[in-house]
Amino acid sequence: MISAERKPFEEIKSSIGRYKKILIVGCGTCVAECAAGGEKEVALLATQLRIDAARRRRKIEVKEMTLDRQCVYEFIDQLTPVAEQYEVILSLGCGAGVQAVAEVLPRTHIIPALNTTTIAETREAGVWLEDCRGCGDCKLDYFADICPITRCAKGLFNGPCGGSKDGRCEADPDSPCAWQLILDRLSATGRTESIDEVYPPANWSKMQGKGPRKIIREDQRA
Amino acid sequence: MMVESRLKKILSMGLFAVTAECGPPKGADPEVIRKKGLLLKGYVDSVNVTDNQTGVVRLSSLASCVILRQEGLDPVLQMVTRDRNRIALQSDVLGASALGVRNILCLSGDHQSLGNQPDAKGVFDLDSIQFLKVVREMRDRGVILGGEELSSQPDLFIGAVENPFGDPRSYRVARLAKKVRAGAEFIQTQCVYNLARFREFMKEVTDKGLDGKVAVLAGVTPLKSARMAEYMAAKVAGMDIPEEVIGRMKGTPAGRQRAEGIKIAVETIAALKEIKGVRGIHIMAIEWEEAVPELSEKAGLLPRPEG
Amino acid sequence: MEGKNSRDYTAIFFCRQIDPDENTNRRALEKQLGRAIRFFPLPCSGRIEALHFLMAVETGAEKVYLVTCPEGSCRYSQGNVRAGKRLEYARGLLREIGLSAECLEITRAPGSLPLSIDTIARGLLGLPRKVK
Repeated sequence: MISAERKPFEEIKSSIGRYKKILIVGCGTCVAECAAGGEKEVALLATQLRIDAARRRRKIEVKEMTLDRQCVYEFIDQLTPVAEQYEVILSLGCGAGVQAVAEVLPRTHIIPALNTTTIAETREAGVWLEDCRGCGDCKLDYFADICPITRCAKGLFNGPCGGSKDGRCEADPDSPCAWQLILDRLSATGRTESIDEVYPPANWSKMQGKGPRKIIREDQRA
Repeated sequence: MMVESRLKKILSMGLFAVTAECGPPKGADPEVIRKKGLLLKGYVDSVNVTDNQTGVVRLSSLASCVILRQEGLDPVLQMVTRDRNRIALQSDVLGASALGVRNILCLSGDHQSLGNQPDAKGVFDLDSIQFLKVVREMRDRGVILGGEELSSQPDLFIGAVENPFGDPRSYRVARLAKKVRAGAEFIQTQCVYNLARFREFMKEVTDKGLDGKVAVLAGVTPLKSARMAEYMAAKVAGMDIPEEVIGRMKGTPAGRQRAEGIKIAVETIAALKEIKGVRGIHIMAIEWEEAVPELSEKAGLLPRPEG
Repeated sequence: MEGKNSRDYTAIFFCRQIDPDENTNRRALEKQLGRAIRFFPLPCSGRIEALHFLMAVETGAEKVYLVTCPEGSCRYSQGNVRAGKRLEYARGLLREIGLSAECLEITRAPGSLPLSIDTIARGLLGLPRKVK
């Protein structure tokens, strides 16, 4: 899923500033899965805001809503009838959610409450691990299904580097060396010759694009 | 001006090569490099200049190499892929050659988070092996990545590093083979303290016939103190310092530890010379370049060949 | 719901496995202390959520206790361990808004089960045992 973490309260509070009528909008998909922006997290943030306001003797009005998805117009549109009753929308969606809502409600001040990070898996309850950085040119099968761009700190295609120690990464000893993992899996499945050849330089234009990358499917368009 | 690689010449003559490493200053003063270079001149064949090692900003390797060249030394330009994309890398390869630098060492580089600019973007457009291949193609076929022709080819002796003590151990020689296939002509290894393990490594290298294709220069770093030995053993990735070496340093009174460190290094060099496939040594006397002349002398490496 | 300014009650979240007769046993204190005490039985202390703690504070709890089963006695095996982690998380959220984390406290039932919630509560509040 797209992974994110809630911003520190102080930062959110500072973005809200003087606003008193706040609509907090969560998302029920990715960010709910990683416990950052789902219905529960919306409730927690709302409660924090209310307790904080009461302590400072400020009157605020906080409404909570959670959309199934914050990145799809049909769901975002549920906000349209209520948006103007609020001075600001605090979005607990991912970066795409925040921007999609802003496209639908361009005259409303939308504040992001999350820091969106990457594409992750739930490795175990409470642990989300980055797996994919969206390079747009997936070659996982060359690397025993372990992404060298994402899971090797240096993004080496012909690793490991000299800093791999006991299967740990030089940059982060808490992380496994991706190339150790790749080699282990290739040996276990008898495929080590696949990395004998020099893997050529990547086409980074597929990752960088010329600005935001776009996918168009004519058969899906109205 | 006809400039050639002294390192390449020494090796092609079948002689035992001696190279040393030189760390540039964290400042703009060329005198620092000049002085270090003059300290080493005559005691080694070629001098490596590190490239923002461990992600710490220093006077650039290329600029330092040119200063050394001006003093009549044969510099080895270390170039990491951490800081430059393929455009800059290829451009600097041409620039280095144009300025009379005749040796290049292609590395990925230590991760940027380890240095004094941890917020920097690590580029890694190419990795060290891809970079080796690019340089080789530029030199031998006169093309850049993508195939476009150069108007003139760079003249560089191409090297890479290998760490015989890195993990995974079983893959290290295969990786060296890959670097050779990509274009490496000489290899400088991480510093050796564990001779037994290094011998095993070199046996595998020679069994695979790699010694005929690439010149391996074994790394040597004289220990300055027992604390340095302990620090390196514990904190530096890919370092293997046997307990007996650490013990030797610890058992020596503080005032005599430097001398003991030199002694150990001299013994190591003597042993390395006997190992099949080892074509030279690479002295990395980190911030102790003054030790190199003494080391070269005591290890019986002087005088260096003429020319 | 708006936040209250006054903090005037003690909340006691507790695991129902501690006192199967809690419904009866808590009545005496509820009568004696009125709105100053609120009991929240849980099927397992591990079912506590950070939101429970925060809502208690928001509605005026000055002190919140979570009473878990003794170590190793959790009927659902790890519930009491998880409860501790969730309490820590809730403490962090309170610290974020400038509140003292000490208003949330976790404690184990002091003895082998079953134990009367009345006895436990009196112990926490420093009240004398009820006269039989």
